[in-house]
Amino acid sequence: MSDQTIPVSGSLQAAYPERGTLLEWLHGWIVTVDHKKLGILYITYALFFLLVGGVEAMLIRIQLMVPHNHVISPEMYDELFTMHGTTMVFLVGMPILFGFANYLVPIMIGARDMAFPRLNAFSFWLTAFGGLLLYYSFLGGFGLYGMGNAPDVGWFAYAPLTGKSFSPGHNMDYWALALIVSGFGTVGTAINIIATTVSLRCKGMTFFRMPLFVWLLLVVSALTLVTITPLTAAQVMLLLDRYLGAHFFDAQAGGSPMLWIHFFWIFGHPEVYVLVLPAFAIANEVIPVFSRKAIFGYPAMVAASVGIGFTSLAVWAHHMFTVGMSSAGNSFFVISTMVVGIFTGIKVFNWLATMWGGSITFSTPMLFCTGFLFQFLIAGLTGIMLAVAPWDWQLHNSYFLIAHFHYVLVGAIIMCIFAGFYYWFPKATGRMMSETLGKWHFWVFIIGFHMSFDTMHFVGLLGMPRSIYTYEPNRGWDTLNLIITIGAFVQAVGVLIFVWNLVHAYFRGKLAGPDPWDAWTLEWATPSPPPAYNFAVEPEVRSRRPLWDIKHPNDPDWKYEQ
Amino acid sequence: MTEISRSQEKHREGATIHLPAPTAWPIVLAFGCAMAAAGMVTTTGVSILGAVLMLAGCIGWFRQVLPHEQHEEVPVIHRPVEIVSTRPLVERIRLGPEHRAHLPIETYPVISGIRGGIAGGIAMIVPALIYGLIAQHSIWYPVNLLGGAGVANWRNPTTAQIAAFHWQWLLIAIAIHATTCLLVGLIYGAMLPMFPRHPVLFGGILAPLLWTGLLYSFMGIINPALDARIDWGWFLVSQVTFGVVAGLVVARHSRVPTGQSLPFAARLGIEAPGLIISKEDAGPRSGQSQDKKIDDEEKS
Repeated sequence: MSDQTIPVSGSLQAAYPERGTLLEWLHGWIVTVDHKKLGILYITYALFFLLVGGVEAMLIRIQLMVPHNHVISPEMYDELFTMHGTTMVFLVGMPILFGFANYLVPIMIGARDMAFPRLNAFSFWLTAFGGLLLYYSFLGGFGLYGMGNAPDVGWFAYAPLTGKSFSPGHNMDYWALALIVSGFGTVGTAINIIATTVSLRCKGMTFFRMPLFVWLLLVVSALTLVTITPLTAAQVMLLLDRYLGAHFFDAQAGGSPMLWIHFFWIFGHPEVYVLVLPAFAIANEVIPVFSRKAIFGYPAMVAASVGIGFTSLAVWAHHMFTVGMSSAGNSFFVISTMVVGIFTGIKVFNWLATMWGGSITFSTPMLFCTGFLFQFLIAGLTGIMLAVAPWDWQLHNSYFLIAHFHYVLVGAIIMCIFAGFYYWFPKATGRMMSETLGKWHFWVFIIGFHMSFDTMHFVGLLGMPRSIYTYEPNRGWDTLNLIITIGAFVQAVGVLIFVWNLVHAYFRGKLAGPDPWDAWTLEWATPSPPPAYNFAVEPEVRSRRPLWDIKHPNDPDWKYEQ
Repeated sequence: MTEISRSQEKHREGATIHLPAPTAWPIVLAFGCAMAAAGMVTTTGVSILGAVLMLAGCIGWFRQVLPHEQHEEVPVIHRPVEIVSTRPLVERIRLGPEHRAHLPIETYPVISGIRGGIAGGIAMIVPALIYGLIAQHSIWYPVNLLGGAGVANWRNPTTAQIAAFHWQWLLIAIAIHATTCLLVGLIYGAMLPMFPRHPVLFGGILAPLLWTGLLYSFMGIINPALDARIDWGWFLVSQVTFGVVAGLVVARHSRVPTGQSLPFAARLGIEAPGLIISKEDAGPRSGQSQDKKIDDEEKS
């Protein structure tokens, strides 16, 4: 950058730009290529869609609260559960985690920005416009039921339901096109994270001195590159089917709906790890700091993360036990899925070993991580249960599966995201979030979570299938569904407390200072919020905990690390 | 002047750092892509507009980076960050066997488990046979229950059939009984050190109660015919007899170190100089390094 660049007159002139007029402020955000601002844009965008997806979930739960309910129409119900799933995976989960990555990866490795800042901005805007295009289908989509049809075939969009015969109009086209557009954005960000991590590490930061957060995002980015590609390919094939009369998924014309299922789950299952590994990454940073101990088994954690990355590519067909695979196929995917349990087991044991004997402080981020540990364990165990083919035959597409999935996505990922917010909010804004409100948020949310998703296991075991619009009374589901819905409302109250805490802290929060948690990674060596250039002087590190070394010059980590 | 000092001098107050210049072309290009896609579900005009925007975005972007990348000069603002810990005291966890108090530091030798299993297995035969004599007037009844349940041709036999002598069922019962007793004895040998205070209470009473309860819960599902014929009171008596005798025999043996604190290679039996690091070389083992106090002393 040094000698091959030219200065721009009239550009942003300060490390801490003044807000100026509203237009200037908006212009600053729109034209930014700063990784921190783009990270915040990603997170804000994802938070908006988290609320949208949450409202959709509430509507679904209101509909299922009592038997024979008709609060919303069956058509709208189909659209809601499709858009809820699509939103939460593509417009909330991935953007919010890439937002954290954008903000933190460069600063954690001592860099001034991402490797490709303009590509970074382009990737974000592609993701953003992809999401808006998807939601425009509520207004402009013309489907089986006329204008205003959002996609309505489930977030997995199984063929042949997506064919022209069963999904006339354009609602499925909106789904495919929007996800293709945002998918390119995702790929761009993944490339950027890999390039940044490989090429912009500061002096002394070898791969085995990188924070685990960065390691895991590196794995996630590699996984993203491998998995988004088949989804995009399948969506292009779907569009060819729909627009040009190709027959990739049309069984009557020699195609195969199974092709779509394979393509989708080759993306879909690693996608779970694309979402959960950044959550692990947040836990990897929070748990040691609040246990006042270095992470236990750093090399094993790295190995387990890479292991999860590789293994997750070989387990997709455990979503397909019910399609009737051969015994050999079933056995392979049962065993490969069990192997993932070994790697995640290593991680859980290492987090527990980090806490063991530590001087633990249960501040809000740590509370959320502790909740995550317990809930992820349960989620893992039900995952192992579902990995057993005969068990899956009984419970596939029941609410037991939905409960397991939400235990992972909400019980593990959302909990860690909340932990990440409370942990890094002071760095990004210079202000602390309220601990009291944070604890209220934690307890209210976790009570609601267990009311909803514990109960969902039972209603699934009693045979309630997923995606049904309503049900007959006296099947043993009535009370359980009522409890699930009440739990959803309790969770919503928890989220509202969080939103209020966020807004209140931004304007009136206590000043944080550069290092409010007495932490050890490089982001805490900068002011809060960090200047545009992050570091005036490139830092140099000698261990995995560079700030520990500075804070404890007589007992630095580099003396002991191998 | 060191390199770092020179760098700090260079970046003193008033100096600038150049960063990539903000640009609107990525958002223009992204919007163009989205519009081009949206045209497929609206009208062709939207796609054409998208294509135009894409073209403009590409040209604008290229002009941003070719022939030279545009940057902005951002002034360095001096905001010193003091990196100090609010908790300067450091305590290192002692590396010693006492930190493994909840895991077995010592265990019983394998042979003790085998002996315990054999002794317990023989002892539990007595209450089982007494039950057979009292309840069914035949010592073969409990034997056949065990042996018969293990063969495939168990087809709702009558009580008289079960009370009669069948040499095949006897052989199968002996095999099942011997294998199970040996395995449970080995588990006893491994687990009893984890319950240092009352090993026989655990092994003799609690563990048999637990697995009897477990079998009681599941046997109706696994083998309803067998479940209907088991007298659970007598079953529990024989299990407790096994547990107490096996536990006593195992506990009479002297314990041996588990070797879990040794390196993996040493546990494999590899012997080489330097394989086991002496504790003195492993860094400060205890106490508190009071960095802050030392710093203060140095300053004074």
